[in-house]
Amino acid sequence: MRTGDFKQTYGELVTLVDSPPVWLWSALLVAGLIVAPFVLNSYVLSFLIIILITVVGALGLNILTGYTGLISLGHVGFLVTGAYAYAILVSKYQMHPLVGFLGAGLVPALASLIVGAPSLRLKGLYLAITTLAFSFIINTVILEARWLTNGARGISVQRPEIFGISFDSDAAFTYLCLGFAVLTLFATLNIRRSRVGRAFVAIRDNDTAARVMGINLHAYKLFAFVTSAFITGLAGALYGIYLSFVSVEGFPFLLSIEALAILIVGGLGSALGAVLGTILIVLLPEATRLVFSLFSAQIDAVFTTGAQELKSMLYGLVIILFLRFQPRGLVGAWHDLRRMWVNWPLRY
Amino acid sequence: MSDLLSVEHLSKSFGGLKAVADVSLTVTSGEICSVIGPNGAGKTTLFNMISGVLRPTGGRILFDGTDLATVSPSRFAAIGIGRTFQNLALFKHGTVVENILTGRHTHLRSNVLDAVIFFGRTRREEIEARERVEHIVEFLEIEHIRDAVVGTLSYGQQKRVELARALACEPKLLLLDEMVSGMNQEETEDIARFVLDIRDQLSITVLMIEHEMRIVMDISDRVHVLNFGRKIAEGTPAEVRRDPAVTEAYLGGHRSEPLAKVGA
Repeated sequence: MRTGDFKQTYGELVTLVDSPPVWLWSALLVAGLIVAPFVLNSYVLSFLIIILITVVGALGLNILTGYTGLISLGHVGFLVTGAYAYAILVSKYQMHPLVGFLGAGLVPALASLIVGAPSLRLKGLYLAITTLAFSFIINTVILEARWLTNGARGISVQRPEIFGISFDSDAAFTYLCLGFAVLTLFATLNIRRSRVGRAFVAIRDNDTAARVMGINLHAYKLFAFVTSAFITGLAGALYGIYLSFVSVEGFPFLLSIEALAILIVGGLGSALGAVLGTILIVLLPEATRLVFSLFSAQIDAVFTTGAQELKSMLYGLVIILFLRFQPRGLVGAWHDLRRMWVNWPLRY
Repeated sequence: MSDLLSVEHLSKSFGGLKAVADVSLTVTSGEICSVIGPNGAGKTTLFNMISGVLRPTGGRILFDGTDLATVSPSRFAAIGIGRTFQNLALFKHGTVVENILTGRHTHLRSNVLDAVIFFGRTRREEIEARERVEHIVEFLEIEHIRDAVVGTLSYGQQKRVELARALACEPKLLLLDEMVSGMNQEETEDIARFVLDIRDQLSITVLMIEHEMRIVMDISDRVHVLNFGRKIAEGTPAEVRRDPAVTEAYLGGHRSEPLAKVGA
């Protein structure tokens, strides 16, 4: 019987997950997601797709804001750059979709160097404002560079076909998003357990000590920016493909707030938190609508006409509630629950 | 024995305030050296310059024959300078092991791409780092708290974790800034024993700032005394104890009574 936590090799100490049940549950979850497109109707499936795409974006922001502690209000800028990079490469220049995805990562990564460099000396609110400005500058650049981006008219994007596999149907596209989400999850978890991730967290928790440990603050802040922007750009490309049309209006500023709300609700600095937060935040407006529509059809109508405004109010509300009652987010609640389960009937 | 660290006419001004003025001192390989002085004497500022947190405004620091002005501050750890902080500077959301692993930073090579894949060389070096950390955990006798989140530990334990993190850098010179402040008798004696072991078993030279005179007098080979940013005395603990300038710095005025009776 397993009575404690025993390790026999040092290798076991650096594994991603040291408990077989966790692997089992994760495998079951992935299996469930693979079956899902066959059983869900297209309405529910659209939420699954949005969740998977948002997970990629939230994990991207998590590297910068959650791990490294640099608050960004401009991540929608990286989303829209990624979406446009894909659209321009694939729709305009008929490149291979994989080249499109690579560009969707690399172009925002380059853009992040431009916004990241002056941000190296800025902290907290000042950095947040700089990134905010960046996202508006990106919008203006896209609207003005008509020869490349078609300006305000936008670019329409087809669902890709990669190596003969068409991702045209919603079910197939779900698999593509699932693939990206799983790979991103592994990538961020691996970063977190390596030298690079520890350096990010060290910068967040105490930058003076981090520097004395030999961490090059400028380089690692830029690494965080670049990695974060690369991943966020991929999410942007996926979102653009899903909308089948890339335009500045498709990526409102509210998405930046939504991403931050996801991290706060899920629990800052945790990949699991980013996933849980995404599920809650994506489903929240819909769940609220369902609850209210039980009472009156009029309220239902308000939800349809004022969707954006109600969304931003809801995000504000959950951010405030979580900061007040569960600052460690859903992942903190999950840890508390787990500890209660193990220690019951003792309190700790 | 050669000079590992040689500080020459070092100065640091903050506006009109001269925190450190024309301080020269040397630390020989294999020594335990102490820097003492009243509050505000410039001890921590001196440490901040040696560890690259602050740039000196005058003078120079030679470490192992290299002028530190030519080295980027983020490389100080790599060339062998490790330190602890007066007020804890741990990564408080991480576990003890994670904190110590962060100290291994300069000994690992993987970049962002390696980290994403986490296979082969990256995995091997992580395993090796983890093994090193385990040795340090054993050395400092913190096995029972290795998986605890640092923020939940007591002050004395956190200080010990900071020492562990500094050791993980494998420094040639270890700067300890008030290791035992706020510790009880037993914890202080533990730290004194560790400092001696660090020197004797790990061959690390130690330079420490300390207010606790018992530990200074008991384990240091040499003591440097600062007051108002200037060095006022240097010598063995016994010499410093008898020095009238030191007595004056600590007690003020001109008293004939030596420090010995107060400090002992």
